[in-house]
This record gives sequence, structure tokens and C-alpha cells, in this order.
Amino acid sequence: MSSPSQPANNLGNRVRIVVATSVMLTFISYWRAAAIVLNDLASSAFYACGIAEQAVGKSAPWFIVGVMLFSFTVRAVYVESCSMFVRGGVYRVVKEALGGTLAKFSVSALMFDYILTGPISGVSAGQYIAGLINEVLRTADAHGWVPRAVHGLFNGTPQFSVNGLSVAFALAVTVYYWWENIKGIHESSEKALRVMQITTIMVVVLLAWSAVTILKSGYQHVPLPTADNLHFSNESLGFLRHTFPEQSLAHMFGLLGILIAFGHSVLAMSGEESLAQVNRELAHPKLKNLKRAAIVIAIYSFVFTGLSALLAVMLIPDAVRVPVYKDNLIAGLAMYMYGPEILRLIFRGFVVVVGFLILSGAVNTAIIGSNGVLNRVSEDGVLADWFRHPHRKYGTSHRIINMVVLLQILTILASRGDVYVLGEAYAFGVIWSFTFNSLAMFVLRFRYKGERGWKVPPNITIAGREIPLGLASVFLVLLSTALVNLATKSVATVAGVSFSVGFFIVFTVSERVNRKKYALAKQQMKDHFQLLQRDTVERESLRIRPGNVLVPVRDYNTLTHLRWALEKFDIQDQDVVVMSARISRFGSAAYDLAPEQIFSDYEQTLFTRAVSVAESFGKKVSLLVVPAGDVWSAIVQTAKNLESSAVVIGVSSKMTPEEQAFALGQAWEALPEPKRQFVLQVVHPDGHLETFRIGPHTPTMKDEDVLLLHRLWLNITHEPGLENVHHHEILTEALTRFARDYGAREREDILRDLKRIGNMPRHAGAPKPPAVPLVRKEGGDGYPSSEAEE
Amino acid sequence: MLSLLGISLVRFLEGMFAVGLVGSTIVLLITFVEDAELLFGREDSHHP
Repeated sequence: MSSPSQPANNLGNRVRIVVATSVMLTFISYWRAAAIVLNDLASSAFYACGIAEQAVGKSAPWFIVGVMLFSFTVRAVYVESCSMFVRGGVYRVVKEALGGTLAKFSVSALMFDYILTGPISGVSAGQYIAGLINEVLRTADAHGWVPRAVHGLFNGTPQFSVNGLSVAFALAVTVYYWWENIKGIHESSEKALRVMQITTIMVVVLLAWSAVTILKSGYQHVPLPTADNLHFSNESLGFLRHTFPEQSLAHMFGLLGILIAFGHSVLAMSGEESLAQVNRELAHPKLKNLKRAAIVIAIYSFVFTGLSALLAVMLIPDAVRVPVYKDNLIAGLAMYMYGPEILRLIFRGFVVVVGFLILSGAVNTAIIGSNGVLNRVSEDGVLADWFRHPHRKYGTSHRIINMVVLLQILTILASRGDVYVLGEAYAFGVIWSFTFNSLAMFVLRFRYKGERGWKVPPNITIAGREIPLGLASVFLVLLSTALVNLATKSVATVAGVSFSVGFFIVFTVSERVNRKKYALAKQQMKDHFQLLQRDTVERESLRIRPGNVLVPVRDYNTLTHLRWALEKFDIQDQDVVVMSARISRFGSAAYDLAPEQIFSDYEQTLFTRAVSVAESFGKKVSLLVVPAGDVWSAIVQTAKNLESSAVVIGVSSKMTPEEQAFALGQAWEALPEPKRQFVLQVVHPDGHLETFRIGPHTPTMKDEDVLLLHRLWLNITHEPGLENVHHHEILTEALTRFARDYGAREREDILRDLKRIGNMPRHAGAPKPPAVPLVRKEGGDGYPSSEAEE
Repeated sequence: MLSLLGISLVRFLEGMFAVGLVGSTIVLLITFVEDAELLFGREDSHHP
């Protein structure tokens, strides 16, 4: 431990900075992780089969089932990829395996996949909603419930343009989530779990009711996936329809037909890549939980997507399945169940609600995923830092979000609500991002010598060299499908290649610009800072004493709270630690950041300013950077590890000081024992201070309560044998009796009395107390007014 | 000539796809067994 009089953080002229490399995350169970992935993966059940049947004919469900089975092996590739202990973004990892050029194309394909997820999900949700509105209007009209005036307005049964409404809906949802992401609203795994619970109810009802329908009304035969049963449309042959105009490809090349049909069905496993995005947040034991999540995901999506595709063809008559229900197949399935029409219509409404929840959630996932990937690409040095510029008020990477959403809006408008066109284009991104990932994993089997938790089986060893047969097989299927799709999906190929080339150019130019800049920044960093890489945050590595003051900083333009802390605290008594939390949003990346990414040029500027401020006070500060999933968890975990007695923060632009205290209190409650209390001091820009205690603490007592306690003490100490009783013993006895009564028969009475007290008028502006956490504002009975935004 | 090149390319793709499918089926079967072991509580020790 250093004495404050000795330099604790300067080595010569270089400032010593501790960089923690283990991310401070709030870990989630594998069920929640599975729910997050399924919100993306299961959404494709709503449109994949409709698209596949338009392309290949009535045997499409078998190909969907085949793709869902194959998705088990793609899942295995992602499990291996996540089990590798590597740092950096997807670009850095793929570059390690395939080199810079292919890595740039790989990221471009991934971006195409993420960006297209939004439009296809939004438009598909719109199709379900518009379809239901028209169906309800048709039914109402058949019963004579539509007024004549409305009838006249529509020249018959009121009907809306399904594609037009879908576009309007998709735009509205996209703009809504754009604003949510600009504000930086945190994505919650709780919400994903609820959506999946509701979806599961729908799936169970769907399967059970379909079974009853099959027993009562019979079913249609689904043709087997043979060359004879394949009926490709002109669009589904793409460029090949010009190459072999007179011949039937499916008959000429038996297996090629199967491959083309398989390529038109790969959309069903879109969303599998989200598995990598939730990997870091999984609770211990990580690999086991990752595998469990992967099993849940694979089985669930197989049952939902695979079986609903089969049932749709089995139960919906050919005459209406493609012409009427191609873009809302599960809604069509609901309408052809056995039972009264009103019940079927109600179930269709339920299907639409579930579709709305899961598909609109996928729109949000698309923006979050795109933002996360591009942020990492920028951190990897292949996208100019300009894109990562934080929003002045909300601190989010607004330029990336704006660009992603603009591309999504243009895609929605260009599609004119046509799910088939969107699906074809989307498949390009899906198949190529899977292909690049499996190729990278294959090459890394030979190049990467580090820790790897699991390998795709089978692997055989020949002459001391391991041959990854399983991985190679999955790669061959993906590559052959991707190549065939290039020929058969003309719109997707043109759109995908243009997009990828566009992004490739942006990445290449950015990389050149950054290279020069980074070389300079690296030299400056070498001259001014000494990075000490530590796995976890420890007091010893910072050489500070217990009871120190933690000052989290984010924006180098707002360091008022640091100035206040340096003015207020004497470093002879308490060390001051300046901390920057490097936030990577929930589900934003598969791998942890490398140390130099954690301490980027932004942190350099931030800490240079912080050190200048400290030097202006003639004081020294310790500097710390921690990667984290959530800023509040990072602060409380760091305060716990460093045994800090106070945390000093500035007022947030998004939250009131009470809300900040409440959010910090919630994070504190989530910490495992042992944990210690600390004081939170929120400094306003004008220097005004608000103080809160985090954790259990002595409550402020009203004067009349103190008097009551004192009177009780006077009376009790007059009793024989109780002369030596203390005030606190009376309080202990009173609280023990209160707790006993609360846990027994008088609970309702106590709650009623407390409600009465709670509803009594307080002094102006004093809000009501929340149930948790244990946070209290100093100097009064003011509690946080509402839950902090999550 | 172009047609022959096209046919060869198609056959090559078909070959890749067929070999890949066979291998993927083996991956599928092995992972099914591993998944079953994991679900029924046995420790995974096959692929360190």
C-alpha cells in the first residue's frame, strides 16, 4: 500500500492505469438466455414457410424441418466459437482466421443479416395485423355489422391494402425502437422470458388444437421432398432460369433441386447467431449453461417452426394457403382449426398478438445487434471513430443507430411490404454470415492454440494432426447452399453484394484513416500511460487503502463531481479513485474486449482531463477502467472490491438523483454477500449536493419518536430489575414484537395502518418510498420517486 | 463448353452438399447423445 505522500500512480511521467479485463455483468440463467435467442429465432416461424412454399412448392415444410434439424449442427459451431477464450470483436476474431479482406466481407454479411432482420420482422408483423383487420371486417360485414356509410366509402366490404398497412406498421415500430435505442433503454431478459412464455402458450394450443383438427377433419398429404415434387417459381430460380430456359433443373440435377429448395428454406434458422451474443452474460458454469440454452433453443425452434410449417400445409386448403395466407401462415392455420368460427377468430387474434410481440421484439433486437456489431467493428479499428460519437444527452452511439435505422427504413419502403422479396434478401445475410463463421472456426482449429472449451464432433487424428470432420461437414453444407443461393436469389445477390461491397469500402477507408491515427494515439498512450492489466478489480493493484472515495466518470466535459470530490476529500485520509466503466450493452457482443479496446482513445482523453483536474488541485488520483454490462453494477461491484466508503457521481441527464440512487441501490441489492454500505453523493453542476446511503442504515427518527422512546425508557427503568435497560434494547424488543406480529395474525392490520400513514400528506415534493432497495436520502424522509429506467 | 463447365460446377456443388449432409448427420447424432447426457445430468467429458 502506498502512502498518499508518495506517488501511487505515476511512474516517471507516465500515469499508471489499472485495466480490469473481466467484465462486470449481471449474469442470467440459461432459460433467460434461450428466451432472448428464441425471440429472434422463433420469429422466423411466422414467415419462413410461406416464403419457402412460394419458392419450391407444397413440399416446402419438409425442407423447413430439414433446415431445423441442420440448425442443431450450426448451433454446435456457435457453441465451439463461444467456448474459445478470445478477446476482441467479431472482425478481430475472423481476421485472425481468414485475413482482413474476408473478415470485412464476413462483418458486412453479418450486418446485412442484422439490418434485414428489422424490416422483415416489422413487415411480417404488419401482414399479420392487416390480415386480421381485413378478416374481422369481412366477418362483420357478413353479419351485417358494418354501417352502410362505411360500405359506401369502400365500394363494398371494407378492406385495407395489406402491404400498405404492413409498411406503415413496420415504419412505426422501427421509428419507435429507433428512439428507444437513442435513449439507450436497456433490454431486459425478463421481457424476453415473458414473451416466450406467452408464445409457448400459443404453441401448445396450436399443436393440441391441430391434433384435434386432424383427428376430426383429416388432413392433406404433404408431398415428400423429392425432385418430382419440387415446383420452382420463376423468381426462385433467379439467374438459372436464363441459363437453362428449356429444361427442368430439378429433374436434370436431382440433388441440385434439393439444394436449391434447401437454400430457399435456410431463413428458418435465422437468429441462431444471437446465441453468440448472449454468451458473455450466461451464469456459471458458462459452457454447460451455453449448451443447455442451445438445446432449449434447438428443440423449441424445431417444434415451433418445423411442426407449424407441416401443419400449415396439412390443414390449410391449397386454394387459399398461398393466395391468401402466404404471408401470415400461422394466422391461416388458426382459421382452419376444428371448431366454431368465433373461437378460431379469437385464436387468430391471439396469434397476431404473439406475432406482434415476438416480431416487434425482433425489430429491436436487429437495431441492438447492428449497433453492437458496428461498435465492436469500430473498436477493432475498421470503422471510423466518428460513428461511435456519443449522443450529447443520452451517451448512446447515435450515429450508428441513425445509419442502421435509415437503412432499415429505406429497405422497408423499397420492399413495398413484400415479405417474399425481403425474405430472399435476408437469406443472403443469414447464409453468408453462417458460412464465414463456420469457415473461421474451421481455420482456427489449425491456427488458434489457446483455450477451447468444446469442439464440434467428430474429430479424427491422422499423423498427429487433428482433422475436424464435423466442422468441415457443416461448412460444406453452408458453403454449397450459399453458392447456390447466389445463383437462385437474384434480388438477394444484387442487394447483398451491393451492400457488402458498400460496407467493405467504408471499412477499408476507415481502416486506412484509423491506422495513422491509432499509431499516433498508441505512441501518445505509451508516452503518458502505463496500462496494468488485471483480471479483476482489487484494492492491492491500485495500491489504495480501505474507505477510499470512488468517482465514476463518463463525459470529459462534465467533471464537476470530480472537482468537488478533490476539493472535499483530503487524500492524506482517503484515496480518490477515478473510474470509467466501459459499457458493452446487453447482448451486444460474443467476445470480451481486448485491454487496448477497453482503454480506447476516448478513455485516454477522459483520463488526461481527469489527471489535469487532479493536478490543478495538487492531488493524486488512482485511475481504473472496468468493462461492464451495466454502469450501476459496475459501480457497486467496484465499490465493494475496493472497500470504498463513498461514491461521488454527477447528475445524470436521463435520471433524477433519486432515480440514480435507486438504480444504484437495486444493483447493490443484487450483489452477493458479504457487502458493505457506502454513501452516494450526487453533485449538481452548480456544486449543490445530494447524499444517499446505499445499503442498510440507521433510519432518521422524527423528534416525537425519539421522545416516545425516551418516555418508554423512563417508565421501564422505574420497574424493579430493569434499571440498567438501554434505549436500543427497548427498540430491539419493539422491533422483534413488530416482526412477530407482522408475520402472524396482525399482518393485515399493520399493513392497513402503514398505508394510512403512507397516504398522510408529507412535505412538498417528498415522494413515496419504494419496497426495495435499501436506499435513503440523507437529511429527511425523501425516497426515490419511481423505479429507475431499465 | 460453357454448358460442360456449368454441369461440372453443379456436380461439384452437389458433391459438396452430399458429403456435407452425411457428415452433418453424424454431427447431429453425436450431439444428440451429448445433449441427452447433459440433460440427464451426466458430465460431458467426450470433447475437452
